[in-house]
Amino acid sequence: MQFEVLAKCHTTRARVCRMKLAHGVTMLPTFMPVATQAAIKGLTPQQVESLGITLILNNTYHLNLRPGIKVLDEAGGAHKFQGWNRNLLTDSGGFQLVSLSKFTTITEEGALFASPFTGEPTMLTPEESISIQHSIGADIIMQLDDVVSSLTVGPRVGEAMERSVRWLDRCIEQHERSGRKDVQNLFAIVQGGLDPVLRDKCLDQMIERKDRVAGYAIGGLSGGEEKGNSLIKQCADRLPVDRPRYSMGIGFAEDLLVCVALGVDMADCVFPTRTARFGVALTFGGPLNLKLGKHTRSFEPIDKDCPCPTCTSGMSRAMLHHIVTIETAGAHAVTQHNLVFQAQIMGRARDAIIEGRFPDYLRTFFRGYFGDKGYPEWCVNALRSVGVDLLDGREVPVIPGSGAKWEYSDAA
Amino acid sequence: MGQQDQPEELVMRFPAFSFSLVATASAFASSSRPKFGGRLGKIILKRQHPLTEDGSAEGSDPPVKQTTEHIIDLDTPNFLSTTSRGVVPHLSRDHCNSMSALRWVHIPFESFLDHTPPVPTLQCGPNPLHTFLGFSTSKQLLSLSLRDPLDAREMPPNGNTYVSANCIRGVRKVTLADWHKYTLATRPDLVFALSDIPFTPLPHSQKRITKSIERSAGWLAEFLRPHKTVTNSAPTHPLNILVQMPGGTSAAAREAFARGLTETLHDREAEAVKPLRCLDDGVAGYAFDLVTLRAGPGPADDPVINPSANQLDAPTEVAEIKEASTLLQDSNLLAGIPTPSTVCAQELITVAAPPLSASALSTLLRSSLAPLPPTKPRLVTGSCSPHEVLELIRDVGVDVFDSGWAVSAASAGVALDFVFPVPSEGLNAKNGRLRLSGRRDLGHNIYDTEYAHDFARLAGSFAASSDKSTALPVCPCFACSPPSSSSHILHSSVDEQSYSPGGEGDLGKAKATIQPPVTRAYVHHLLHTHEMSAHTLLVAHNLAVLDAFFAGVRRVLSHQTADGASEGQTALPLPDEITRFLDAYDRNMLVFDEAKHAWLDVDRARGKGRLAREKGKESDGGSIEGSQ
Repeated sequence: MQFEVLAKCHTTRARVCRMKLAHGVTMLPTFMPVATQAAIKGLTPQQVESLGITLILNNTYHLNLRPGIKVLDEAGGAHKFQGWNRNLLTDSGGFQLVSLSKFTTITEEGALFASPFTGEPTMLTPEESISIQHSIGADIIMQLDDVVSSLTVGPRVGEAMERSVRWLDRCIEQHERSGRKDVQNLFAIVQGGLDPVLRDKCLDQMIERKDRVAGYAIGGLSGGEEKGNSLIKQCADRLPVDRPRYSMGIGFAEDLLVCVALGVDMADCVFPTRTARFGVALTFGGPLNLKLGKHTRSFEPIDKDCPCPTCTSGMSRAMLHHIVTIETAGAHAVTQHNLVFQAQIMGRARDAIIEGRFPDYLRTFFRGYFGDKGYPEWCVNALRSVGVDLLDGREVPVIPGSGAKWEYSDAA
Repeated sequence: MGQQDQPEELVMRFPAFSFSLVATASAFASSSRPKFGGRLGKIILKRQHPLTEDGSAEGSDPPVKQTTEHIIDLDTPNFLSTTSRGVVPHLSRDHCNSMSALRWVHIPFESFLDHTPPVPTLQCGPNPLHTFLGFSTSKQLLSLSLRDPLDAREMPPNGNTYVSANCIRGVRKVTLADWHKYTLATRPDLVFALSDIPFTPLPHSQKRITKSIERSAGWLAEFLRPHKTVTNSAPTHPLNILVQMPGGTSAAAREAFARGLTETLHDREAEAVKPLRCLDDGVAGYAFDLVTLRAGPGPADDPVINPSANQLDAPTEVAEIKEASTLLQDSNLLAGIPTPSTVCAQELITVAAPPLSASALSTLLRSSLAPLPPTKPRLVTGSCSPHEVLELIRDVGVDVFDSGWAVSAASAGVALDFVFPVPSEGLNAKNGRLRLSGRRDLGHNIYDTEYAHDFARLAGSFAASSDKSTALPVCPCFACSPPSSSSHILHSSVDEQSYSPGGEGDLGKAKATIQPPVTRAYVHHLLHTHEMSAHTLLVAHNLAVLDAFFAGVRRVLSHQTADGASEGQTALPLPDEITRFLDAYDRNMLVFDEAKHAWLDVDRARGKGRLAREKGKESDGGSIEGSQ
C-alpha cells in the first residue's frame, strides 16, 4: 500500500489522502458500498465502476459459506469471481458470527459457532479468518476481533479489547507467513466499547504494532454513533497520521461527514443500498421516500443536478414511484442514485478540504439536508469538538437522538 | 419542457410506420404458398424531432421550425421485448439503452390505471411515452396495448364500450374514449386497438364469440375516426394501429372478422372513417394473442384433419356480422346491447380441452389472415418456445414475436444456449444437457449444482468477445462480453488520479475494452444467494440469444430467397433447417421446469437454518456444495 496525505483541513481533523493498492488508486475520504455476496445488489461490476466507485466491500462470513473457499480458489479470488477490477476490502467474519448466530461463544482459541451447514460446533480462529481472506484476495483484509455490542458494559468489554489485541498478533503472524503482504493489507481494529480508558489502552497496544499493520479500523461503534463520536475522535486523534483510518458500519450522510471531520478516511454501510430497495432515495435536501403518494405525479428527477445514470436519464419520481419495491429495475435505479449520492458527499468533502472550505461545506450540507427542522445534537457537539459550529448565528433547533429525518407517510 | 412550448405542428406529428416484404421475387414465385410461407421483411419507423438552435436538445424556446429525422429499422422476422410496469424486467435504463437487442419494446398500459388520469398521460414533451419510460427515440420503437398480452388471468367480462383491465388496485373499465385519449396523450409509435377478447371462464359460447368479433370491429371503426392533429387542418389518421385478431378458437369467426376488415364501407360507416375505404386501410398490422388461444379449448374438430368442419358453420356467422355491422358507428346503440352470457352451460362440452397443437394454431392464424393482404406485418404474442416460433414462421409467415418466454427463463434462472440454424457439426456437451429424447436443452438451469464449479461462459454455442480462439458467433450481451467502464463519474478534482492513463492510477488489467465473460459458477452463486444481479445478467444474455436466433432465421431465409445459396453457403432451405432444429433441441423445455422448481426452493429456503436444510437436500441428491 502506498498512502499519502494530500491535504488537511485548517480547522477540523479532516484530510484528503491517496491510497494506492494492488487494484488501483482510491482517493480518501471515501464511502465503500457493500457487496455482501460478491455483488452490489442488482448491478454489474461495470456499472458500479462507472459510478466513480473504486473500493467496495465483500463479507467474509457470507463468501465462506457461499460460494465457499474452494470455488473462490478455483476462480482465482473474489476479484475474478465477481469481475471487479478495482479495490476490494473484506471484513473478518467475526461481526456476522455475533450478529447472525446466537450460539457463538468466544474462546481464546477463536469463535466457536454452530455450523450453518451441519449445526456442528465449528471454530473460526484468527488464523483461519486470515487464510479465508487470503483466498478471497481482497486488497484490504481485517483482523478477527472479539466484537461486543456497543451497549455492553462491565468486564466483558475489557476482556474483548485485550483479546482483540492478542488476536491481532495471531493475524499478523498468519498474514506475514503467507507471503501476501505486498498484495493484501491487514488492518487492525481498535476495540474497547464506549469506555475511553479501554480505548486508550487498546490504542497504545495497537499503535505499538504500527509497522506490521497497514491501517486501522475503529470498531464496536456500529449503531452507537451518538455515544461513540467522542470515541471516534479519541481514536482518530491518536492513530498514526500515516495510516488510513476506517470507521466500520457508518453510512448516514451526517455521520459520514462528522467522521470525516474527526479524521476518518473510510466508512462502509449497507444503508444506502438497502434503503434504495425500500424505495428511499437520498438527496442533499434529505431522503425522499418514493413510495409516498406525493411523488405520484412528480415529473422531476430525484435530483436534477445529480450525475447518476438514473437522474441523467431523466427518470422521474413518478416513474420511480410506479416501480420501486415492485420491479427489481426500481431497486437498480435508486441503488445507482444512492451510491452516487454517497460518493458525491465524500467527493465534495475532498474538494472542500483541498480548497480550504470544509467547515463551510459542513454548514451548507447540514442546512440543506436538515433545513430548519433541527440538527442532531450529537452532530452539533461532535463538530464543535473540532472547531466547527454548525449553528453559527442560525436559529435551528437542536434535536436529541439520532435526528435522522425519515418520511414515513404523506402526512409528514 | 411544457408541451405548449413546442411548435404545434411538430408536437402532434406521429411517426410514419411502414413495412415492406424484402424477399426476392424468385422466392415468392417458387413458393407454393405465397401468402403463408416464411418471409423476410423490413419495418421502418420515421420519426421527426423538433430541434433547438444548437441542434441538440428537444424542447426549444423559442420554438424553431426545424426538424431532424430518426429512422428505426427492424428486419423481420424479429421480436419485441415485453415489459412489466413499463420496464424491461431486471434491466436498468443504462443497460436498456446499451443493448442492441432492444429495438422494439412493448408496453402494456394497464399497470398505469391505478391513477386517474394515468400518470404517463400527464408527461410533457413530443414523445411522452419514451420520455416517461426512458427509452431512446432514436433507438427504440414503442408499442402500446391496454392489456398485457402475456396475462391470461381470468377477468370480469368486457362491456359493449369498455374492456376490463387489471392494475395493482384491481380491475378498471377502460372505455373506447379513454383508450383514444390515453393513446393521443402518450403517443406510442404503434398502438393496439381495443379488441373484445374475453378472459372469462372457458369455454365461450358461439354467441360470445360472435359478440367478440362484432365489438372488435365496431371498436376498431370507432378508433379509426379521424381527428384533427393540427389546428386548422383536415382530420387525419395519424396512429399506427395494430389489430388483435379476435375469434378465439373458431376459425370461421376469425375469418369472418378479417373479411369484415376488408369490406368496403358505405354511407354512415364510410363517412365516419373518411377517407378510409375499409377498416383495413387504417390498420398497420395484425396481432395474435396466443395466450388466449392456448388457454381456450381447441377447435371441436381439428381443422387440419377435417377442414370441412369449419366451412359448415362459417356462413351463419358471416351473416350475423353483416347484420351487426350497422352498429359499428354508434356507440350508444352498442351500449344498449347486453353482453351475451359468456358460458352457456347447456351447449358446452365439459371435457377439458387438450392444448392446441402447433398445426391447429397455424390453422387459426391462417384463417384470420386469409382474407387480408399479405403486405402487412403479422405479430404474435405469447409464443412459448423457439420451436413454435419457427413453425409459425414456416406455416403462417409471422413477422414479429415477443421475448416473454426468454425473459421468464431468465427470471427462473435459465441461461439460453441455442442457435439457429443448428451448426453443421451438431451440438455437444458444452451445449445444453442431452435428454432421453435424444434432444438437447435450450439452455442451462444455472441453479443446478453441476455449475457450482463451472467457470465457462453462459452459453457453449456462443463465444465471449474476449475469447479470440474460437470461430463461434460472439454473444454481445453484457454478461458474455462486458464492456469496460468507458467513463467514470468524477466526484472531486483529485479523482482523475484513480483513472489517469499510463499513470499510477491506471490499471493494466482493466485497460482491455472487453472484460472476461461472467461465469456459470458466478451466476450459480448469485442465484443461490437470491441476488438480483443474476436475473439482470440472464435477461441480457437471453435477449441476445433470442436476437441471434432471429438473425439466424433471416439469414436462412435470405439464402433461400436470394443468391445466398450460390455463394457456397451451407444453409438448407428454411423448412429443412427447421426440421433439424426441432430434432436437435428439446421442445418440452424440461430445463425450464427444473429451474422454476429450483427458484421456488431457494425462495422457500430463505431464512435461518437454510444452509442446513439445503445441505440435507443435496446429500440426498448425492452432491455436496459449498462445504469448506
